[in-house]
Amino acid sequence: MAEVRSITLLGHKDHGKSTLIGSALMLTNSVTKVRINEAQKYSKKLHKNFEPAFILDSFHEEREGGLTIDITRAEILYKKIAFSLIDVPGHEELIKNMISGASYASTALLLVSAKKDEGIKGQTKRHLFIAKMMGIDYLVIAVNKMDTVAYSEKLFDSIKGELAGFITKIGFDSKNISFVPVSAYKGDNILTKSGKMQWYRGKPLLEVLYRNSGKGTLKDDGALRIALQGTLNNRKNMVAGRIVRGHIKVGEKGTCIIPLDINVSVKKIVSGGRSVKSAHVGESVALELDRDVNGDPRGSILCGESYCPIAKNKIRARIFVTGKLNGKLSIHFNGIEIGCISIKINSQIDTTIGEQIGSGKIKELNAIDAELELSKKIPAESFSSTRELGRFVLYSGKEFAGIGIVL
Amino acid sequence: MIKQNIAQLEEKSIYILREANMKFKNVAALWSMGKDSTTMLALARKAFLGKIPFPVIHIDNGIDFPETYAFREQLAKKWKLNLIVANSSIKPDSVGSACCGSNKPETLKKVMKENGFDALIVSIRRDEHGIRSKERYMSPRDEKFRWKYKDQPAELWDDYASKLDEGGHVRVHPLLDWNEIDIWRYIKQEKIPINPLYFSRNGFRYRSLGCLHCTVPVKSNAKNVDEIVKELETTKIEERSGRSMDKEAEYTMQRLRSLGYM
Repeated sequence: MAEVRSITLLGHKDHGKSTLIGSALMLTNSVTKVRINEAQKYSKKLHKNFEPAFILDSFHEEREGGLTIDITRAEILYKKIAFSLIDVPGHEELIKNMISGASYASTALLLVSAKKDEGIKGQTKRHLFIAKMMGIDYLVIAVNKMDTVAYSEKLFDSIKGELAGFITKIGFDSKNISFVPVSAYKGDNILTKSGKMQWYRGKPLLEVLYRNSGKGTLKDDGALRIALQGTLNNRKNMVAGRIVRGHIKVGEKGTCIIPLDINVSVKKIVSGGRSVKSAHVGESVALELDRDVNGDPRGSILCGESYCPIAKNKIRARIFVTGKLNGKLSIHFNGIEIGCISIKINSQIDTTIGEQIGSGKIKELNAIDAELELSKKIPAESFSSTRELGRFVLYSGKEFAGIGIVL
Repeated sequence: MIKQNIAQLEEKSIYILREANMKFKNVAALWSMGKDSTTMLALARKAFLGKIPFPVIHIDNGIDFPETYAFREQLAKKWKLNLIVANSSIKPDSVGSACCGSNKPETLKKVMKENGFDALIVSIRRDEHGIRSKERYMSPRDEKFRWKYKDQPAELWDDYASKLDEGGHVRVHPLLDWNEIDIWRYIKQEKIPINPLYFSRNGFRYRSLGCLHCTVPVKSNAKNVDEIVKELETTKIEERSGRSMDKEAEYTMQRLRSLGYM
């Protein structure tokens, strides 16, 4: 059985994200002949040289347009680790799909093309900003298309130098960052070291990912948090939820449901269809309680009495803005939708430079620091303390308008 | 084929099944009596503590295998399923997208409308097909069952689609992350009853099941679940190689899915 690590691709359009995954799939024999032949056939049909990207880009609009529209995943087995590589679109207008893909990852693989007139773009940096904000801590940067610049060490070094400053400025820890020069199309430095870049002293890309990628981020530190989904089978003393922090034991007293403010003790725990004595972080459980829960527990949390958050209707948050903020705003938090009564913007950040600019007119694809007043109290915590209870999705009417983390 | 952590896959599937049942008023599931949708039912039994709370629909074009019908009756009784059989008629000579493709959505539309279902659980997996790998865990369809694949909703941090168009419904995909080999490992672990057509007879077995018209067996000596897992560890053959629909004109799967095919 393989340990799965989810890795999101990042980077400007046409810098080679899909091509890199396609190429890695072929080099590691992780894709069937049928899929390769199919991609080959359509490359030919469109009068193109073979496009490894077509193994991922399955919509005909993607193949004919030469772009990735929506996310997909592909798995590669490397030394008993299954890398689940998430392909995302690089286009600005498809950023909601990129965010959806990146949200599942704890490691990012950024592509920057070294080709003439390509290089580091605003979107390259924006993707990094979003990834860091969403809690991705591990970063591998593949400087791609080295074959088009005669495998130049100088160019690689200049891209590395230019990006390094930005990366540490937005908060990445330099010990979790690696740079690898590659050609996704030619397969240089992907699975094995390329003879064309003797000056590169590091490991090939998959080995770097193996050594520098993160597992999940769930914490089991004693502070219990169960995000409740609702009651089960129409029984008011039976609730279902996922443990997002800590662990729970049968008979545990002094647990409470917030913000319903009910003190309960747990009589029975069911996990994976079996009755168990204790359950841990990451498990989806059904809990039989010693009393009925009056009111809908959906959106509430069950936590230990000694260390539990206080429900509040005012939060400070950083929001990456993808839509207009002038409509009827709401947030999706912990399974429920909550109205946003007011939003006070304190500052605006240009995500392509990682710096504050005036908080005047808010531009889409920038970030803001703001205070939100909500229509009801929620058990929110800071993102840095409990990720699952410190993040939300912002909507303006029916439209996706951004993502937020609680400060 | 890559084997994943079954306990983690199970957890996520149970979470998604509960989310679907709590977010939507009137949920139903599709059951083809194949390995995937039968595994999904086993997961639903776990999610809802033994009793599946939603009806299961079989879109019956009348030409499924006799073994499939027998298996349906047997398991429906054993697991006390609320089974809805929706009959669809087909032309006698139709094959591929004409038998299990284009006429089935019409029957499904009818049964969804009659019962007012707003969510439909479908047991597709990402590793089956490039087009299926582009799906969300919860994916809205409009009133005509169309999939707006060029403008899918954001789906992040377990916040799944809930804003539906008038008359539309959501497709729920609890098995999206599973690989074919994981399904079989889980069938083994949980001793899930399975349609006998999957096991080898005279050197052939069915690896993916459609109806009599569009499914052919593949060469295999795997006579039981253990042998199937072993076979899948090394196979280089596509799962749906015995399904004629996948070999039709280019983008058949994309066209069918965008029109509401399962």
